[in-house]
Amino acid sequence: MNEQGSNPPYDRAANGETVMDCTQFRDIVHDLGRQGSEADALREKALAHAASCPGCAQLLRETELLEDALHALAVEAGRLAAPDRVETALVAEFRRRKAALARHRTWRRVAVMGIAAAVLLGLGLSMSRWSARWPTTREVTLQPPSPSPSLAPSETAAPGETAVAADASDFVLLPYGADSEAAGEGTVVRVLLSRASLASLGVSLTGLGNQESVLADLVLSEDGTPQAIRLVSEETAAQEF
Amino acid sequence: MTKVTELTDDGLLGRMMAGDQEAFALLYRRRQPAIYRFALHMSGSAAAAEDVTQEVFMALIRGAKRFDPARGTLSAFLFGVARNHLRKRWEQERRFAPLAEDADERGDIAPGGPGASGVALRGRVGTDELSRLETVSQVRRAIGTLPENYREVVVLCDLAELSYEEAASALGAPIGTVRSRLHRARAMLLEKLRGTHAPGRRASMANR
Repeated sequence: MNEQGSNPPYDRAANGETVMDCTQFRDIVHDLGRQGSEADALREKALAHAASCPGCAQLLRETELLEDALHALAVEAGRLAAPDRVETALVAEFRRRKAALARHRTWRRVAVMGIAAAVLLGLGLSMSRWSARWPTTREVTLQPPSPSPSLAPSETAAPGETAVAADASDFVLLPYGADSEAAGEGTVVRVLLSRASLASLGVSLTGLGNQESVLADLVLSEDGTPQAIRLVSEETAAQEF
Repeated sequence: MTKVTELTDDGLLGRMMAGDQEAFALLYRRRQPAIYRFALHMSGSAAAAEDVTQEVFMALIRGAKRFDPARGTLSAFLFGVARNHLRKRWEQERRFAPLAEDADERGDIAPGGPGASGVALRGRVGTDELSRLETVSQVRRAIGTLPENYREVVVLCDLAELSYEEAASALGAPIGTVRSRLHRARAMLLEKLRGTHAPGRRASMANR
């Protein structure tokens, strides 16, 4: 026997169904008034138990009374709310904070723009210095095609080929780049040319020896056609770096 | 376009975070009474409840991003913030004890509570009503004497009528813990009420 009633745990009714005991009843009695709780399914059994157990019936009545009082207390307190001055203070704080955030955002935008401007300026300066080292477009001094073109002055070039000195500082017009005016204003690119490329440009390969390729500056016209060439020695290239 | 008044708490919060003052005001009006009452029942002081309510919504203005909808409702979040503020206050003001005679002036919950002020009521209400008011007053007093952990579940689940899930989210505790604390708290309340009733009154309390 337990303290609240006489039913032993897991007692069975005459029809064989399990009935609730006092321990189980006490475990769910505070949930009986709560809708949607697990006790919903057990309500019937709980009430049946209370009907047969005076101790649990007393507990059920007291619990119901307590719930009534709690509900009355909740209803009574239901009209209570914070005074209006709280809302006034909060709304003022909200407005102040919103203004501060807007100022902060403006300053941040200015700062971001300043940083972006500084970065662009820095990039511009770097590009300018880079351009000074690696000229892209500049005035070039042109030499007319040699009548006996070859890579070395002593060598003899075949007809239709251009002789270019290996250390020449001036550009030499290519046979197909007849537009000397365009060559004078063209874009200069430094390229590594193979023997085949040199031959296709009409440059004599006789002074090239065993070299498979040679470093050269090409003057390109607006349409990208090579107009003039200047060979660059490795020493000159290294100095320019 | 959805009217502001038709928005859910989360919708209002989103607008508030985007700087909509009206949305904030509406959210405040919707949620402050419950927070105020929670703080009032927990502290027993109207001034403290007012301060806590202000602090809760101030915290929302300053850090609305702290609210995670995946962890519970905004209401439960606000109760949780209120609870933390109350705990902080208690830690800071352990030595503070309000003078009983000042309680009425401040609007605090007096031991008898509103509606239970004795002589004046006796002439207006019947015996049953008086008895009911007396019981309500005793319950209020008994709640005030519960240990904090038990008081907050009674206030949240029985007075604020939160579900176990919402209360668990507000308290940051498992649902089972909330349920068992509530059962224990109610058992303690019943014990206290039995103690306050004269031997002859116990039967009448149970028989109404």
